[in-house]
Amino acid sequence: MVEFVYSNVEKEMAAYGYDAVTHSHCRMCHGGCGVLVYTRNGKVEKIAGDPESPIGHGTLCSKGLASAQLAYHPDRLQYPVKRVGPKGSGQWQRISWDEALDTIAEKMLGYKERFGAESVVLGYGTGRENEAAIYRFANLFGTPNVLTAGHLCYGPRISTGIITCGSNPIVDYENKPRCVMAWGNNLVIANSDEYKGEDLSVCLDSGSKLIVVDPRLTRLAARADIWLQLRPGTDAALALGMLNTIIGEELYDKDFVENYVHGWEPFVARVREYPVDRVAAITWIPAAKIRAAARLFATTKPAGIQWGVAIEQQINCADNNRLLLALMGITGNIDRQGGQVLFKTPKINNVGKFGAHDKLPPEQVVKRLGGDRFRLAGHFAIVNPKCVWDAVVTGEPYPVKMMFFISSNPVMTRANANAVYEALEKVEFMAVADFFITPTAELADIVLPAATWLEMDYIGDFWKRHGYILPRRKVVQIGECRSDHEMLNDLAHRVGQGEHWWDDFEQGLDYILEPMGIKWQEFKKMKYARGEVSYEKHKTRGFSTPTRKFELYSTLLEQWGYDPLPTYREPVESPISTPERYAEYPYILVTGARSPGYFHTENRQLPNLRELQPDPFLEIHPDTARKHGIGNGDWVLIESPRGRVRQRAKLFGGIDPRVVGAQHAWWYPDKNVKGQGWNESNINVLTEDSYESCDPAMGANSVRTLLCRISRDSDQRGKGRGDAA
Amino acid sequence: MKRLAVIVDHEACWGCLACEVACKQENNADVGIKFIDVLEEPVRERNGKPHFSFNVNLCRHAECDGAPCVAVCPTDAIELREDGIVVMNIDDCVGCDLCIPECPFAAIVFNHQRSVTQKCNLCSHRVDRGLIPACADNICLAHCIYFGDPEEIRPRIEAMRRVRDRM
Ligand code: SF4
Ligand code: SF4
Ligand code: SF4
Ligand code: SF4
Repeated sequence: MVEFVYSNVEKEMAAYGYDAVTHSHCRMCHGGCGVLVYTRNGKVEKIAGDPESPIGHGTLCSKGLASAQLAYHPDRLQYPVKRVGPKGSGQWQRISWDEALDTIAEKMLGYKERFGAESVVLGYGTGRENEAAIYRFANLFGTPNVLTAGHLCYGPRISTGIITCGSNPIVDYENKPRCVMAWGNNLVIANSDEYKGEDLSVCLDSGSKLIVVDPRLTRLAARADIWLQLRPGTDAALALGMLNTIIGEELYDKDFVENYVHGWEPFVARVREYPVDRVAAITWIPAAKIRAAARLFATTKPAGIQWGVAIEQQINCADNNRLLLALMGITGNIDRQGGQVLFKTPKINNVGKFGAHDKLPPEQVVKRLGGDRFRLAGHFAIVNPKCVWDAVVTGEPYPVKMMFFISSNPVMTRANANAVYEALEKVEFMAVADFFITPTAELADIVLPAATWLEMDYIGDFWKRHGYILPRRKVVQIGECRSDHEMLNDLAHRVGQGEHWWDDFEQGLDYILEPMGIKWQEFKKMKYARGEVSYEKHKTRGFSTPTRKFELYSTLLEQWGYDPLPTYREPVESPISTPERYAEYPYILVTGARSPGYFHTENRQLPNLRELQPDPFLEIHPDTARKHGIGNGDWVLIESPRGRVRQRAKLFGGIDPRVVGAQHAWWYPDKNVKGQGWNESNINVLTEDSYESCDPAMGANSVRTLLCRISRDSDQRGKGRGDAA
Repeated sequence: MKRLAVIVDHEACWGCLACEVACKQENNADVGIKFIDVLEEPVRERNGKPHFSFNVNLCRHAECDGAPCVAVCPTDAIELREDGIVVMNIDDCVGCDLCIPECPFAAIVFNHQRSVTQKCNLCSHRVDRGLIPACADNICLAHCIYFGDPEEIRPRIEAMRRVRDRM
């Protein structure tokens, strides 16, 4: 009898006649999972997991397994194009890379001369490992305006982590926390940043306790010891209630609080403003459950909070994060083995250094759009999107003339999509680098063909906080596609910053690795590198904050004119803050729950992923659906004061009857249809982007908590799937 | 002789659908044709708490008692191998569709594009070359897709369940 072993590379090669296998790591999301890429005749034939990978241990998600369908998609852009008809006309002409980059360079330099470097905005979407190169380019060019998702995704974790304890603490899954509290995060199917679902799953399989905070019954919530089904947007109140129990019952780590915390007394006074009964009324969670969760979390050691983006897309963005940091801190789990660790990256020229933030002249720093309004964001080089749209449309505080989006589809992903569309239609010159002509790229003047992860050499995960860096190895070249790094390296030479870049981007990789004393060609042969792992570093060095303490009371926020203590604000739109509006729009709408296969706006073109879920769905409690005559699978109109879109009803008993849950980033890729259905199901048509609706420090939009009304659409055709008749 | 099947520990499944895509990548089934199907069960009460789980459905092979689909096929397109793998050869399938109601697990699907029935063949083309079926080859983040002899797998699933349920 043959012996079967996992991932048998030799037998795999022999059975299918592959010529080669490349060890690399995926980036269909933020990346991280080790993969084996099998090729034959220079073509990718199979993607499999690499069991030796420290991230995910060879398990993959649906997206990773469909990577070849992205790389070889027939609609993929394989050469640069320039638009020859009006914006959105879909009339493109093939041009050379030289012509494309020369045109972009000429425009950039022209605007810089006439309107200042700040009139050129660079943008990227979610973390795709190009961010350091984009910042480097922008800073050297002299523009303080890089428009990212950082105001409402990961940026808040980084910035609040840094001001509180010097870095972003990561759950130490390798040492199996005995209790995990998953807070607004569905790691097992989400597009997580550091560790992946497997690391959590294995931890739970070893018997760790699980607390889940989520308005929806996810499978994680179903498996939890305690599921806290909160009213959307009340996370800060819930955290304050739990802190209240932990402090009131003296379940906190006294040594940590006594020796390593700044601002304990005022913090306790603030927490006491939120007795559990008050919190129960705010959050819809019974007081006993809040107390039970607080006790379980505080008394099971070590413990970690698996936090994610959901708490960041609210008006309480920064304070939600700070309160979760407080929970990690006062329970003694910060930097504790098996708790929540401040990992160190290997000695490299890190994202900050590579990003050349010190090269942006001070007189340009102060011009950062929205920097005086959203001052926490501003200090971390993060810009609120509306500031950019306003500058395009009104010319205030100064005109923005050019935008260059690199792996970003703001028409789909930014709040108040109609305003975004208007700004992109208006901006004088726009370039985009992407895989496809997306709804955003349709409005561009030039579109550049971006490489997928299969087509690049790179040092992956070097921006993350688990301390690993992993070599991503180029497997194939497809058309004229280029990685964002190579493209920017080339463009940099054309705008006169060549001395800070390299003849070939491989030398840029060498530069990153320089402090380690190795070059890319050597790193390429390694499986990975990890920074030295050590725990409880504060005991010898304190924390990297102004007070060297864990700042429950933030001296920096105080200095920037904010409340130094975290607090709870009602969501911008809610039954309580806007009762009149609630009468007209009687459901709380949560958005952005993840589903397998998709990464924000991506992958709707890939057959193996689209068939997993062909249409967007709106989760509705069966009782609510019945009231509106809505059946499972019906197309439903969802309306907010900003607009109206349609998604299909998914009757789901795991959501509160007062809440409905929509999906985000849905468009219907079809290069022959103008707009490609960008506003048919795009939930951001409904979201608000006014400055008042944003977190005052971070500028995060309240895209996950708004009010809506629903009705069965009289038109039941699935337009986006082409059966519109 | 060792008997073979792929067995999923449903209680451990997270519903990530990676197994479906791994099967697609391997077997290139037409759009809409799934040999392995992750089904979301409706929400119900369990131990006084709302609960739901996933059910991952595929042909049971060695675990299917008597493999009733085999006998009903008029063209002998379905073969029960000695090792318990039940292979459907679509070249011999005439699309009569008689096997579909015979299967107690709804593991056979009708492919309208080709007018044949199809099901999971336990990646017999891989197994015969000493390779683990694509869905079971370490892609599952829950490590809950087992390949091998059901008699050896069942106790392992039971042991995992005891730890997971903290018993
Ligand atoms: S989780 Fe991310 S890195 Fe891992 S396989 Fe999926 S897309 Fe790739
Ligand atoms: S891969 Fe595993 S966890 Fe994911 S759906 Fe399949 S059985 Fe479930
Ligand atoms: S197809 Fe159905 S009846 Fe046939 S062997 Fe598989 S599970 Fe049994
Ligand atoms: S054993 Fe092979 S054919 Fe059967 S479900 Fe798994 S991958 Fe698909």
